[in-house]
Amino acid sequence: MRSDGTGPKGSPPKGSGDARPAGDSLSAAERERFSDLLVAVASSKDRDAYSELFAYYAPRVKSYLMRLGADAGLAEEIAQDVMVTLWRKADMFDRKQASVSTWIFRIARNRRIDVFRRTKRPALDPEETMILPQAMEAPEARVEAQETETRVRAAMKDLPPEQLEMLKLAFYEGLSHREIADRLDVPLGTVKSRIRLAFLKMKGRLGDE
Amino acid sequence: MIRFKTSSETDATTEALLASGRADPAIALFFDSVLEMRRAADPTAAVLAGGLLERAAPAVMREDALARAFAAIDAGEKSQARRGRTAGSELELIKVPAALQEAIQRAELARGWRSVAPGIRQLPLDMGGAVSAEILRIAPGAMTPRHTHKGREATLCLVGGFSDGRGSYGPGEVSLADPDVTHQPRGDDDGVCFVLAVTDAGLKFQGALGAIQKLFGA
Repeated sequence: MRSDGTGPKGSPPKGSGDARPAGDSLSAAERERFSDLLVAVASSKDRDAYSELFAYYAPRVKSYLMRLGADAGLAEEIAQDVMVTLWRKADMFDRKQASVSTWIFRIARNRRIDVFRRTKRPALDPEETMILPQAMEAPEARVEAQETETRVRAAMKDLPPEQLEMLKLAFYEGLSHREIADRLDVPLGTVKSRIRLAFLKMKGRLGDE
Repeated sequence: MIRFKTSSETDATTEALLASGRADPAIALFFDSVLEMRRAADPTAAVLAGGLLERAAPAVMREDALARAFAAIDAGEKSQARRGRTAGSELELIKVPAALQEAIQRAELARGWRSVAPGIRQLPLDMGGAVSAEILRIAPGAMTPRHTHKGREATLCLVGGFSDGRGSYGPGEVSLADPDVTHQPRGDDDGVCFVLAVTDAGLKFQGALGAIQKLFGA
């Protein structure tokens, strides 16, 4: 984790990304600002706004793709493509429903198939089904997206590190429960129940009795 | 002891049904697949992943990365890495829940896929219990063959969509059929459909498929 927010080589990114230590998630105000920027891209093809989003997100998307197993060249290529998609589909972004991070993650997620096609890693992916029709949503009332975004980030800070690590392996890296069990040297049943527990905490739905 | 608040996944009745249903490995696989698909569909998972993306240590991009992005935007070139139809149907199963992925890989090494009707390929899963499980790959517009055995069947849509006499189903949705109802799923026209089908072939397994009926049936 870097305390000054710069990358190891090359020019530091422009915009707000370089002022922040790698490892912190965005504050509500910063998320709002990024939503403003993406809306500006959508409504007036604002290149300065886009450059700021690029400076923050492209390196992180690249980092994510490398974590999935892509080498730097492939990750760069796909990250590039994700950011171009961001420009092209900006008018589909609905700030009431998601933060820019959530939205970009979904775009990046859908490119995983390209990583797997060109690497040998077998794909075990509980999250690929993320973009699903309305019928799939849980029946509880829809909460404001902003509330969810804030709650989840707060929960991420409060969660015991090993539980967050399990959620990360499952939902960010897309490992199967068995792969997680092997990697952490923990029984499969334990992985399943801990992920369920941690996920419910994320949703703020754990009973307190 | 931590008690979970009521939800479609975790109340006591559900837990009991899940426990009874799990006795058969094919039913356990069915449950795990539905639950995994429904959990992954939860927006919380995407929000979590977005938060984790923010925390990622930024990789270094090429010096000209932004310029290249603008060049691509200006050229209006089509994405090279667009997700689309692949030659091998197997790659579409990347979308399948992890619980199922392992069973599929095992089955592909063992019996493998075979054609059972025009546009229908079948992969028997050989779960080892009395309830049989199979993956069907349904080409657009193709109809599954009429079953010759009596028995109840539960069909989970994994990828794409299908319709039968009772309705239309997309990923994560379950169709249940009794032996006296003609059940011939037909793949939607806009793409390949994969389903997980379990059937008790007329044997008395009230607990197993009854549990699925209670939890997921309409």
